[in-house]
Amino acid sequence: MNETVSQTDKTAATPSEHMVSLSLNQIIQDYPAPGGGVTRVIGGVDLVFERPGINMLLGPSGSGKSTLLNMMGGVRPLNVKTPTSGTISIDGQPCHGPHDDAVMVFQRYANRPDLSVYDNVAFPFRFKLWRERVPEKEWRARVAHMLDAVGLADKKALHPAQLSGGQNQRVALARALVLQPRILLMDEPFGALDAQTREEMQHLLIKLYRERPCLIVFVTHDVTEALMLGDRVVVLSTQPANVADDFAIHAPRPRSLDWQRSPEAVQLSERVLDQLHRVSPGKGSLRVTV
Amino acid sequence: MTDFWNPYVQPGPRMRRQLVLLSVGGLLLLWSALSGFGIVGPNRLPAPWDVLSAFGYLAWHDGESMLAEATLWSVGRLLAAGVLVVAIGIPVGVAMGASPRINAALSPLIDPFRSAPVVALLPILVMWLGIGEAMKIAFLFIGAVVYLIPMVRDAIQAVPQSHWIGARDLGASPWECIRQAVLPMAMPRIADALIVAVSVMWTYITVAEYVNAKVGLGQLIQNARRFSAWDQVFAGIIVIIVLALVTYQLMRYLKTRLFPWETHQ
Repeated sequence: MNETVSQTDKTAATPSEHMVSLSLNQIIQDYPAPGGGVTRVIGGVDLVFERPGINMLLGPSGSGKSTLLNMMGGVRPLNVKTPTSGTISIDGQPCHGPHDDAVMVFQRYANRPDLSVYDNVAFPFRFKLWRERVPEKEWRARVAHMLDAVGLADKKALHPAQLSGGQNQRVALARALVLQPRILLMDEPFGALDAQTREEMQHLLIKLYRERPCLIVFVTHDVTEALMLGDRVVVLSTQPANVADDFAIHAPRPRSLDWQRSPEAVQLSERVLDQLHRVSPGKGSLRVTV
Repeated sequence: MTDFWNPYVQPGPRMRRQLVLLSVGGLLLLWSALSGFGIVGPNRLPAPWDVLSAFGYLAWHDGESMLAEATLWSVGRLLAAGVLVVAIGIPVGVAMGASPRINAALSPLIDPFRSAPVVALLPILVMWLGIGEAMKIAFLFIGAVVYLIPMVRDAIQAVPQSHWIGARDLGASPWECIRQAVLPMAMPRIADALIVAVSVMWTYITVAEYVNAKVGLGQLIQNARRFSAWDQVFAGIIVIIVLALVTYQLMRYLKTRLFPWETHQ
């Protein structure tokens, strides 16, 4: 608190948050194919994310981008070794299994239907790991703050069934952010929402990110979403997934409809679609909402 | 009538009452006719009014109620066995559901008993435990627990993996995932398993009380049969059916009160 944070530093984050790094080194994933042999779903992906920012992982559905994200989160599917080869490191340390610094948000928000909104957001503090790390007084304050931040303070006593899809995803987002993770992994979090709610959620994410920047890896098959949110967009090809394109967007957020129609955005959109048609013609599906 | 062959449209409460009255009343009417016109003699089928008076006799006679006493004893045995079923069956079932290795080890010991003649175990239990209460409670326990354990296991395994993954990702230990994410989701189906187990125990109560029971609904029926008091046999069976039905409805009601979120999932 006594440190003077330079006013030009818009993120105003603590030094440790700046030092976050997540790197994927030569990730290959094979699955046994029906009838023998193997299917390569990820074919040697190299990616480095080094500072807080919103990184979009864009690819057609079925391109293995969720598999890649699950690996980063340490969530391993049953009976198959993941990754087949290659390493994932956080802050230079190779990681196996779930990592305390990386929290995931899923498309199916996995809220507990028997718990109130408040208890769902406070859910991680039922676990020994977080109870020991965060004193009750502090986590209660964090939960209250997050409920406020996602606009559910007046709904904290309700149950998930009484909420809309967007509100349920707000609960999931609050539950992840209440841990103040340095890495947030989002797997098509807004994919199941209607267009208007999706846009609201995108704005909410930008707001929350500003409040507390972290390294976000956001998987989507929505080209528009990638361009609206991303500091960086990584385009993945399909089967096997490979990095087809990787570029930065410097336009300030939130990006308006005018920006979406600007030559820069149109050009980027065409560039992405061209890339995808070239590397994986006719495979998977993409969404473009304009 | 357009909804007659539509499985998704439930009849209203009024219509439901009328239909129940029609079926139950119809059966009573048929029964009365068979007895009243002497089509079937009282040695084969006691008349409904005889069963009713037998019921009255059992309920109150000579300043004591044989029926109430028998019911209390039977319910007591059922409760004792029920406590054991919950205390042993649910933890074992949860462990089997939560760990495929425990399941692989225990399921060959438990699953076959679902189709095994549990009644045939009675003489063995008598040999081991004697003819007292322990044998009766053990019999009810075995009869119910072999149904409960596989159902509890299936309840755990039916919980979507996403709950486990989500908790694991938030830093829960494997046991915390089971305790905090999987078990709460399985509770409604575990409650269903318990309801089935209690129903099974009601069906076995007469068998449990076959051997050397001094009081109990099964003994009451057994005793009446010995004296060919068929009206009392019928009265006893009807009492057991009604009690089983009441417990079933009560447990169903408790389940919807405890897990109101289940239907919304």
